[in-house]
Amino acid sequence: MAENASAPPILIRGVSEPRLEVHKFRPGAVVGASFLALVLQAFVPTHVWKGDLVGDLIELPLLVTLYFGLSRRNPSRGLLLGMVIGMAQDGLSGANPIGLFGIAKTLVGYLASTIGARLDVEHPVSRMVLAFTFFHLQNLVCVFTRRWLLAQAAPFMSVRLLVASLVAALVAWPLFALLDKLRQDED
Amino acid sequence: MFEIATRRRPYVLLAVSLVFQILLLAVQVRRPDGARLIRVWAVELLTPAERAGSWAMDMVRGGWSGYISLFRANRENQRLREQVGELTMRNSALESRAAEAERLGALLQFREAHADAPLLAARVIGGDAGAGRAIYIDRGERDGVQPNMGVITPQGVVGKILEVYSGTSQVLLLTDKNSGAGALLADSRAQGAARGSGGPLLQLDYVSNDQEVAAGERVFTSGMDKIFPKDLPLGTVVETRPGNPFKQIQVRPAARLDQLEEVLILLSRKQWDWEPKPAESAETAPGARTPAAGTAKTPAPAGGEAKVKP
Repeated sequence: MAENASAPPILIRGVSEPRLEVHKFRPGAVVGASFLALVLQAFVPTHVWKGDLVGDLIELPLLVTLYFGLSRRNPSRGLLLGMVIGMAQDGLSGANPIGLFGIAKTLVGYLASTIGARLDVEHPVSRMVLAFTFFHLQNLVCVFTRRWLLAQAAPFMSVRLLVASLVAALVAWPLFALLDKLRQDED
Repeated sequence: MFEIATRRRPYVLLAVSLVFQILLLAVQVRRPDGARLIRVWAVELLTPAERAGSWAMDMVRGGWSGYISLFRANRENQRLREQVGELTMRNSALESRAAEAERLGALLQFREAHADAPLLAARVIGGDAGAGRAIYIDRGERDGVQPNMGVITPQGVVGKILEVYSGTSQVLLLTDKNSGAGALLADSRAQGAARGSGGPLLQLDYVSNDQEVAAGERVFTSGMDKIFPKDLPLGTVVETRPGNPFKQIQVRPAARLDQLEEVLILLSRKQWDWEPKPAESAETAPGARTPAAGTAKTPAPAGGEAKVKP
């Protein structure tokens, strides 16, 4: 996952499209951030903060997947990162079969990378909107997976999900700003 | 080619990742009945193909076995048809033999009941090819048959011998227009002459209009014709009406003239009792009469024929 620090920024697409920059990150930044998000998501609610605030309301692995997908703008890398984070999340959760969040985050990583290559996602508001949207996209994929593949009941929408998506959007603002510090090209 | 593969790499990678994870899910997850999801999917995926294959095999097997069965059934059908034909013929032959045995039995019984009567059994061997009502029998001159001898069956009078040849004879039936016999009405005892009309019935002539004759009255031979002895059954009155100068009486012959196969020839006009008399039975009646002396009785030859000569 380490990026090539010496590589210059790449301009993608033709002249008719916006000239969007592909960001590079410090070595170990993607792995470290992903690992930290997973640890916080899995162990903090159990061992540190007894409650479901982080576990349910703040989807840190989703936000990390989304951020790196939008920033690196490489669909292949984005979907692979989403798959790894999602499967790790499933493995750490203990309750989910491996692949449930993996499928959802694979799609999230792919779509975020695709969107990141076409839109300017540096503005805080657009980041919050994207976090809100992708939260529900992930939920939608999970619900479909549960219902169609696993024959389990799962709601498409609830107040709690709405609150969680808003929380994710709010958290995305400072989190993405924090992760921006890990970019190598801003040094 | 390589460029296309590179350009499509994200899609391929996405598809592979998703399929891999879906399969991973299927391996882990169990259905409520305990079956792994991957097994359920595999079964659901393969079952239609297996079902289609099984259906196709069943069709092929069914068609083949149906064809073979049909072929066998056809052969068996042919064999059974032949068997049915054979059995039908055999059945007809047996029925014919049974009927013949019954007739011969009746003839023999009649012959035994009239052991003293000079009777000669004969078989009908042909009919008259012309319009006349005559039959041919297998007895002739060498058997002692002579013209104008009477011919009867156990049911009644048949006719008389018309022509005699060495081994066969021609019998003129009662119903022929040229045939006739002396008749006697059973109840009124009025006498007349029964003659053939060319049809199935006889015409009884010379009965006065004063005589009361009713349908159903029996008619016997009167013995006046010098052919038949007296009191042989001739027929039954079926219709009577006044006529000029005599009554017109229709008589149905007692013998079934259209179903003749065996007959008895009266070798003489010797009088004998048509109806056997139980009181005269040798075993029961005291002083019972034995068959008339001088009447020879020969055992019935093959075919149930009994030959009796005076």
